[in-house]
Amino acid sequence: MAVSARQWLERIHALDLERKVRIMNVCGGHERAITLAGLRGALPEAVELIPGPGCPVCVCPEEDVYQAMQLALNEDIVLLAFGDMLRVPVNLPKREIRTLEQARAAGADVRPIASPTEAARVARDNPNTPVVFFAAGFETTTAPVAALLREGAPDNLSVLLSGRLTWPAVAMLLDSEDAGFHALIAPGHVSTVMGPEEWEFVVRDHHIPSAVAGFTPESLLAAMYSTLRQLQEDRCFLDNCYPEVVKPGGNRSAQHCLHETLDVVDANWRGVGQIPASGFALKPALATHDARLQFPSYEDPARKRIGDMPQGCDCSRVVLGKIYPNECKLYGLACTPRSPIGPCMVSDEGACRIWWAGGVRERREPVVA
Amino acid sequence: MCLAIPMRIMQVDGFNARCEAKGVERDVSLFMMQGEDVGVGDFVMVHVGYAIQKMTPQEARSAWELFDQALGTGDLPLTSGDDHV
Ligand code: SF4
Repeated sequence: MAVSARQWLERIHALDLERKVRIMNVCGGHERAITLAGLRGALPEAVELIPGPGCPVCVCPEEDVYQAMQLALNEDIVLLAFGDMLRVPVNLPKREIRTLEQARAAGADVRPIASPTEAARVARDNPNTPVVFFAAGFETTTAPVAALLREGAPDNLSVLLSGRLTWPAVAMLLDSEDAGFHALIAPGHVSTVMGPEEWEFVVRDHHIPSAVAGFTPESLLAAMYSTLRQLQEDRCFLDNCYPEVVKPGGNRSAQHCLHETLDVVDANWRGVGQIPASGFALKPALATHDARLQFPSYEDPARKRIGDMPQGCDCSRVVLGKIYPNECKLYGLACTPRSPIGPCMVSDEGACRIWWAGGVRERREPVVA
Repeated sequence: MCLAIPMRIMQVDGFNARCEAKGVERDVSLFMMQGEDVGVGDFVMVHVGYAIQKMTPQEARSAWELFDQALGTGDLPLTSGDDHV
């Protein structure tokens, strides 16, 4: 019989936890499910749940958002992007056009889409206009973009790709002096596509207990219980608490799409910096569909240096799990979902936005470690 | 956009499937399900308009419970991008 969330909680409370355990998740969907279900308040005090680098919108480089905006404003094109990207502000003074949404209000043809299939449709409906799909996302979102390219994108469709791989960011944290977590909840749908094996290095090389989780409180609590038990028994392994859709080897057909159309390249993460082999780029054979090659003049190398978080915004530390969202000085004061300052307050997967939506209103003083 | 939802396949035409969840219908691509045996009546996990894995009806149901909770926030991933700007 399936174990209920309450029963998982009882099991966790029955564990004799001697020291604080910090469990990191690296998926905005996990953070949302945790916050909406109020799991933090239900867990023993010794268990801390840390949102980590799980928001693709938040880590999409500022220079890419800027490039998409300039393209939309200056070229006679249609610019498509997932809805969240439209509200991410670039680092420009308030009186200037700072988001794709504002570019749209200023007359640019910017349209939000919910699926790469819509990009193909818009391109087919506008055969004489170049259509650029600004695609930010992790593996789960990038694989469908790869599928679109593999199936054969219309000639007038190009992709401004800001795809990222999740595991290299976790590897970077683990290779740093202070990873800041003792256990990992591995992302469910990334593992569905790429296979859970991708996360084995966490256990093998770093001796960090790990479990893949789904998005129900039951699955998340099962994963937490698993990692806590692993810690207690000093016996690490990669557990799979989302076997419904996470199969050994992942989705081979999706991986095939990725391998056939995209190369893995070094990539810049907003607020984090360059991470080796952590991004996707279109293969040279697909150059005619690569917006970076089709519109090279909009790439601004100078921007890469200033392309960090807005002044006063602590998203870079939020993304790396170094502080909780409400430890940022601007949280709920200058920065709210209505007038977001940093990308973590814009995106549905940003930890600041999720915490605000989950009803966290009070700020808290950063704990100096 | 990282949210994925289970949907039931109602019709299949090549790689294109008409899917349904809670009375909402959407076109879903089965392009990444090649090599899998999927057909009408099956449940699939759908992410940004693409099926990423097959699942059982029971699994689909338990996943839906989460979205029932999330409904209150008004950003169910079924909304197309065009609907909310
Ligand atoms: S509260 Fe706003 S300013 Fe502070 S880290 Fe979050 S997004 Fe950035």
